[in-house]
Amino acid sequence: MMKMKRTAVLIAAIALIAAACSSDGTTTTTTSGSGDPSVGGTVTISGSSTVEPISALNAEAFRARNPEVGISVEGPGTGDGIKKFCSGETDISGASRQIKDSEVEACGAAGIEFVELRVAVDGLSVLTSAGNTAVSCLSFADLYALLGPESLGFRDWSDANDLAGQITGANAPYPSAQLTVTGPGEESGTYNSFVELVLEDIADERGQEAQTRPDYTASANDNVIIEGISGSDTSLGWVGYAFFLANQDKVSALAVDGGDGCVSPTPQTIADGSYPIARPLFIYVNKEKAALNAAVDLYVDFYLSEDGLVNVDQAGYIRLADYAAVRAIWADRVTGMQSY
Amino acid sequence: MTAATKRREEETKRQVERAIGRSGIDWTSVWFSGALVVLLLTTLSILLVLIADILMKAWPTFQERGITFVTDGLSLNPATAGVFTAIVGSVMIATIVAVISFPIGIAAAVWLEEYAPNNRFTQFVDTTVRNLAGVPSIVYGLLGLAIFVPLVRALGLGGSSDGKNVLAAGITMAVLVLPIVVITAAEAVRAVPYSIREAGFGVGATQWEVIRSHVVPSALPGILTGTVLTLARAIGETAPLLVIGVATGYFAPAGDATLADQITGPYTALPVVVFSWSRQTQAEFANTLAPAAIIVLLAVLFILNGAAIWLRNRTEKKW
Repeated sequence: MMKMKRTAVLIAAIALIAAACSSDGTTTTTTSGSGDPSVGGTVTISGSSTVEPISALNAEAFRARNPEVGISVEGPGTGDGIKKFCSGETDISGASRQIKDSEVEACGAAGIEFVELRVAVDGLSVLTSAGNTAVSCLSFADLYALLGPESLGFRDWSDANDLAGQITGANAPYPSAQLTVTGPGEESGTYNSFVELVLEDIADERGQEAQTRPDYTASANDNVIIEGISGSDTSLGWVGYAFFLANQDKVSALAVDGGDGCVSPTPQTIADGSYPIARPLFIYVNKEKAALNAAVDLYVDFYLSEDGLVNVDQAGYIRLADYAAVRAIWADRVTGMQSY
Repeated sequence: MTAATKRREEETKRQVERAIGRSGIDWTSVWFSGALVVLLLTTLSILLVLIADILMKAWPTFQERGITFVTDGLSLNPATAGVFTAIVGSVMIATIVAVISFPIGIAAAVWLEEYAPNNRFTQFVDTTVRNLAGVPSIVYGLLGLAIFVPLVRALGLGGSSDGKNVLAAGITMAVLVLPIVVITAAEAVRAVPYSIREAGFGVGATQWEVIRSHVVPSALPGILTGTVLTLARAIGETAPLLVIGVATGYFAPAGDATLADQITGPYTALPVVVFSWSRQTQAEFANTLAPAAIIVLLAVLFILNGAAIWLRNRTEKKW
């Protein structure tokens, strides 16, 4: 008796699981692809992890107003995001750099037209520990001497004196103090922006490859970089401005001289472009999907509205000085790369 | 008897007499056991410091948010971010892992221990299973992305996440823990005394009957403990999920989404939330919310381990 009962329960359990599985299958095949004519449907957003917080906060606020819309936001990275975007997997892709020519070609080959929208600015901050008062401003030449490809092995600020002497614009000699460098890893957009904005020109002039020194502590987690920089009194490193803003008690930002004098990163100097190492943040919108899917259309409208831009501040980034041009691009659905 | 052997015998006799007749405290033993206790306490205190540190950081979150931290969903807004979506995702993954890996793993273990002939093929399988248990989890993530995501898509279960859903994640995690299930279950089956089997064979039972009514029930406590601990591993893994594709920012289902749509849609999991929050700009995430999510993850793991111990005690047999 007992045995029969147990077997019956087992069979019932298996039947239940099987039923659950099969019902999953059938309902999915019937419902997927069906678009709600009212504001329903789904918005899929991928791309840069830097832009992810803005898109996620906007998604949450947008969903609160349009509870029928399905929405998902992830941030695997600018390059990965654009790859998905250009294969039609996503509707919108965030990017912490402008789309590359090769990526435009890939999109074009797949027949995907995109609208490029600048949504915010992120200033790269060159940081040292809050206890470091010896240095307050570094020029591009200084940064090249301390962090560039030729600085391999420099463990003391003064090690860079000879190299700095060969580059115009450097403020050598540097004090003799331990130089510990912490920064983002090579896979990060923050790394690429730093190399492009600061190191590339001088590296080209000197016939070096545009990259940083390889011997520094790299992390993909910006909060870990902050810990690294605050851990040593005479440290040097760089992260996005938002992370400096959240950790002003631990680290201090150095002013940067891009040829027009020393400028400290502040919301004003980053927004008006006078701070020399700021980078724009973009979203790329699939034009066809926005035309077919009202949810995508409305989400981008919301993104560029005043209520959406509040989330640029909330995420710790800087608003553009003026959004009129961006809103005009979106209103006219101007496709392709813009020049700034 | 030669003089040499006699001398050796004398020597042994003296040593034994000395050892037996020794009075007082065995200082070597005291010293050794003391050292062991110190080492044990060091290990424990590291764990305690870690947990205390995380608890202290997490405390403000639980104080301010209370139960809403557990009932709110995924968000990158520090005021409303909660772990509910992540708990749901982790539980769903754990369920799929249990449904797939336990039957296969236990069956494989029983075959390896009870049926498999001792030949090169069995040895090869045995070695392979052990090696697979040591493969880094990120490799399974790549496997999942290359095979299981397209598989789920091909089966028409891709949904709005295009195959990057709990089904693909669950299958990947099941494959990840499968070798460990096989190894622990095989150990448990091997630990069943041979006399138990002989008793069965002795009264004319077939091999199937012996395995069904003697070996597996006797090995059950060990099997259960092992399998539930592998579930804990599956819940704690982050890297494979990040490779397969998991929502880190925000997601919400469409208004007309059925349960099936939600299962096949985007998902997130507890360790992924910890990872994602620890790298956010707003200081609250790294300082208090991520530690709070760690506490929730630990609580889930403790509950699972508690269940494992309870099951073991309930089914344990003494020989």
